[in-house]
Amino acid sequence: MKKRRPASIFLTSVLLMVLYFALFPYPLGKELVAKPVWAVDVSSAASNNAGGGEASMSSAPQEAFPFRLGDLFGYVAADGTLLHLGHTLFQVALSRTGYINYARMGTDWIIRDPRGQRTASFSGNGYPLLDADGSRVLVVSSDLTGLAEVDRNGDAAWSRDFPAIMTSLSLQGDFLLVGLLNGSLQLLNRNGVPVYQGPPGSSRIPVIYGCAVTQDGSFIASISGIGPQVLSVLGRNGSSYAGTLRIPLSADYRREVRMGFSPDSRYLYYESRDGVGMVEPREGWSTLVQLPGRVAGSAFLHDSRFAAFAARDGGRVTLTIVLPFLETLSSESFPAGSLFLGTVDGQTLLGVDGRLLRVDIEAL
Amino acid sequence: MTTPRRCLLGVSALLLAAALPVHGLDWPVEKKTVIGTFGEDSGGRFFDGLDIGGGPQDVRAVLPGDLVFLYDEGEDYSSLPRGLGSFVVLHHEGKIETISCNLKKGSLGSPRTAYAAGDKIGVSGDTGSSDSIHLHFSLYDEETASFLNPLSLLPPVADTQPPVIRRILLSVSDILVPLENGAKVPAGQAEIIAEAYDLRQDVRFHWPLGLYGIRLDVDGKEAARIVFDSLQVAGGRLAVGGTRLTLSGVYTADGLLRCGAVEMRQGNHHLILSARDFAGNETTKEISFTVRD
Repeated sequence: MKKRRPASIFLTSVLLMVLYFALFPYPLGKELVAKPVWAVDVSSAASNNAGGGEASMSSAPQEAFPFRLGDLFGYVAADGTLLHLGHTLFQVALSRTGYINYARMGTDWIIRDPRGQRTASFSGNGYPLLDADGSRVLVVSSDLTGLAEVDRNGDAAWSRDFPAIMTSLSLQGDFLLVGLLNGSLQLLNRNGVPVYQGPPGSSRIPVIYGCAVTQDGSFIASISGIGPQVLSVLGRNGSSYAGTLRIPLSADYRREVRMGFSPDSRYLYYESRDGVGMVEPREGWSTLVQLPGRVAGSAFLHDSRFAAFAARDGGRVTLTIVLPFLETLSSESFPAGSLFLGTVDGQTLLGVDGRLLRVDIEAL
Repeated sequence: MTTPRRCLLGVSALLLAAALPVHGLDWPVEKKTVIGTFGEDSGGRFFDGLDIGGGPQDVRAVLPGDLVFLYDEGEDYSSLPRGLGSFVVLHHEGKIETISCNLKKGSLGSPRTAYAAGDKIGVSGDTGSSDSIHLHFSLYDEETASFLNPLSLLPPVADTQPPVIRRILLSVSDILVPLENGAKVPAGQAEIIAEAYDLRQDVRFHWPLGLYGIRLDVDGKEAARIVFDSLQVAGGRLAVGGTRLTLSGVYTADGLLRCGAVEMRQGNHHLILSARDFAGNETTKEISFTVRD
């Protein structure tokens, strides 16, 4: 004969459960959403500029955020005011505080502020390069074996030749990391003096495909070699650098690979065959953010709390925003020709086919 | 008069050729119109390869090799501006790399990892820091970390035109004075400077090219010799292979050749300057002069 449980046991269990949730409620986090804030049609502004050259739209003292969209470049304010717009002559070296718009051939360059006002000029053999905040001006020799730094007056600070052509470069704060075709890395200090030199790993054919240094110089990273291709992360240990992480990659790149550290030096991202790899070098964590297509842009948002990645697959681009190592917040796909991914006031600045869009992450 | 020896021979072409695979190199293009030569002063930098004109033409692998690096101008990402324009680097047996630059944008073809000798790499173009359609072709020796003179290893091209030594000058306290037969010059430290170059044989107008080598003899003794076999970084500066001669040690700001420093001592002296191009054509200029007290 089957024994039947008394109904009171069941009711007591339910009541205890209700009591537990009443006494120890699980806090539900606010939902994070990606919300469009404003859009600016820069291609219309460019076509309204009858001269076809550069035009400053506003002289109001606002913080300027640079963008590059196809052959258009300029600066936009946090509220969407277009501050300056220009067409690239050949290329443009862009920074937060100024730019150099330069032609294919030429040795004389002008640094202009985000309103297009001339701030300095200098000469050199090669092409110019600015760091993100415009405080450092480099000249990369045309043959890719020489670097020189000039001060804001255009006077040479230092110059250096390398034993092989440069394949990649990372300029962050006082640190400049150069990756070479012969598979070696050179980390130079503010005076152009090497503070670290060496091959990050041993492969059948040594070559550096990408390199990155943190703002504080605490970590350097590279993707190097053929057979195998390897991600190497080295950490500063006193006055030298030692390997902290080595990940063999399934990729077989023969071109430069996107990689970089977050501005707070916490995260490293690198282009991977299936998306973007992310590493937290201090803890040794690594993960893969799967993306459809080839990585076409990256940005760290909200003091590096979030990361945004754009991936291109043919004529479509997917913008993915993630909380590193936790979750994907948003992933939107749209048709795009020219593309730009940057930041405005710590939020996403997305450029697509002549339009700029600010997307904020907000908690609902 | 004492004449300090200041330049040494670079790596010999023979040794370089021995390091290469037995099947040898072929030219990367059909029309072998050399318009820029290894070791020239290229706007403040040593020229680390050959410029080959002849209009747009297919560029081919000179040896079988693995693709090491590729960049096509206009790609959506590059961490540095690339004056080489669209370029392809192949790794060959013997740890030699060939670098083909200034290729036409979009001509690099679909990605592949291995090339056979003669396979098309791209089309010569004017990408990067370039104002005319050409191929910039460099050879890099991974073992010695040096750029090699491609003419050391490529099959020779016909060239019967000898180099030109237009004038020889004496630099005393940074003042240049012509050094001619019968000249009377002051005693002291001086530098022999020369305006010397090779010429393109295929054009009627003046198109100077760099020399392969130059040698200075004073009173029957070799005072200096520069041979553009290779370029190698020494002390953070690109220098003529096997020497510490940087660009400013080889060329004046005006592009004249620095042939060597000499201590001028009283008496009669005889100087011979020999300039050689890569085909072996040589031009010699002799000057007898007197150093006065």
